[in-house]
Amino acid sequence: MHTDPEDRPGAGASIDPQLMRRPAQAPWPERRLASLGRTAARVLEHAGGMAMLLWRTLVYTFTGRIPLREVAAQVYWMGIGSIPIVLVTSALAGIVLSQQGGYQLTSNIPIEYLGSVVTSSMVLEMGPVLTAVVLIGRVGARITAELGTMRVSEQIDALYSLGRDPVRTLVAPRIIAGIISVPILVAMADFMGVMAGMTAAQWTLGLGRDSFFYGARIFWNDWDLFYSLFKALAFGFVIPLVASHMGLATRGGAEGVGRYTTSAVVTMTLAVLILDALFPPLLLG
Amino acid sequence: MSEPGTVEFRDVHKRFDQPVLAGVELSIGRGQSVSVVGHSGTGKSVLLKTTIGLITPDYGDVVVDGESVVRANRRTLARIRRKVGYVFQNAALFDSMSVFENVAQGLSDEEQRDLGYRALVTEVARALEHVNLEPQKVLSKLPSELSGGMRKRVGIARAIVGRPEILLYDEPVTGLDPVNGAVVHRLIAQLAAELGVTSIIVTHDIEGTLPISDRVAMLDHGRIRFDGTPDEFRTSDDPLVRAFLERDVPDSEVLEAL
Repeated sequence: MHTDPEDRPGAGASIDPQLMRRPAQAPWPERRLASLGRTAARVLEHAGGMAMLLWRTLVYTFTGRIPLREVAAQVYWMGIGSIPIVLVTSALAGIVLSQQGGYQLTSNIPIEYLGSVVTSSMVLEMGPVLTAVVLIGRVGARITAELGTMRVSEQIDALYSLGRDPVRTLVAPRIIAGIISVPILVAMADFMGVMAGMTAAQWTLGLGRDSFFYGARIFWNDWDLFYSLFKALAFGFVIPLVASHMGLATRGGAEGVGRYTTSAVVTMTLAVLILDALFPPLLLG
Repeated sequence: MSEPGTVEFRDVHKRFDQPVLAGVELSIGRGQSVSVVGHSGTGKSVLLKTTIGLITPDYGDVVVDGESVVRANRRTLARIRRKVGYVFQNAALFDSMSVFENVAQGLSDEEQRDLGYRALVTEVARALEHVNLEPQKVLSKLPSELSGGMRKRVGIARAIVGRPEILLYDEPVTGLDPVNGAVVHRLIAQLAAELGVTSIIVTHDIEGTLPISDRVAMLDHGRIRFDGTPDEFRTSDDPLVRAFLERDVPDSEVLEAL
């Protein structure tokens, strides 16, 4: 049914056309520049916040004022609690590397080299990065959501009001636990990936264990293991640092917790991948 | 004014997207109970948070026991905070801790170490008894297992366990039914009398708070619009005070009118 707009309730009231007009906007280059400036300010603000967290964590660590019970609890939860998922993902990665490597080595390259392909790929790249990605989802997201919920429900303010610093009681134990747990998890992931790759090669390509490890030793360098653990150390430090910072920076109720957790996952993933890209020129050059 | 238990707001300004506090001047003496009232969004909670440095004023100063909160370094601020008990609007209990652990957080690590476990349990139990909770029934419970009124009271117990000189209440009866609200109001009056603490109560519930207050301060447009005794507040000609009082009609009167 057609309804004349004039018949609607209130349609007779006159509306000031000035109110209907959109406010004048700056020309687009200025708007773009302003937006860029705001983004840069936000990035710098977060970087500064993380630097402050890091500094205070170092101060508490070196003055021996970290609650060790909380560190132990976090190591248990981050480290021991993550073992099953880390082992499963690294085993699957080892199997995939072995199968795809086998497919590519079917021409003139001796199949023994598969041992080297799997071992080097697992130790140098897949072990640390895959473990980090799993931990971003399992540990990092939870830290941000937990601290973010504490922030929006005033529990962080309550800690301050009781004369307690959340950096000492919440952040520092998580960073220290990350530094302890992640290298151990990565060592386990490296081992599991290589073992799973070897088993897969044995079953599907008929490559024996001795041949696999003979191939692995051809290009093996002991430094590779240290390289893997250095990466793990950096990831173990950066994941809880970013996650804690984003948690403490959370604003805006339940919606804010969701937004900051998503943002933390993106930032942690980027940080891990950027660090990963910096490692070869720094330590393998 | 540098007596213990005193609080002074000196020309406090704070702006977020728009000005919230615009020159608040208020002096609160030792042992006084002051209700800070005002409509939503007038900056009452912001003012309360400046008292212990949870929010820093853009301009002006907050002085607790003669010490500036604004200029305090981290160590001084922690010391000031230990003199002040803060009761949060939703209690802000730590979800992962039991009632015992929550209340014990009100004592510093050093105090807990000095007391030892047995004396610590006694101290926590004493604080819980102060707020009319039976320690043996609640000590091991998690906050999620408590009712709203009990959570509020545990929050108060956590605030008083360290024997503060000043207690700050942020909307202490919001979300409580009238019976529990009355219990909390009685408790605030009882704590002020027994512990001799200075109390600042930020509230909307003027009817419940007037009888337990020595003074009422009304915030409007970021400034103190009214500062006087509860009787002066009731009889004030200020149209805003009148509007505030008349809207705050007890349920019994509403029912009678109906």
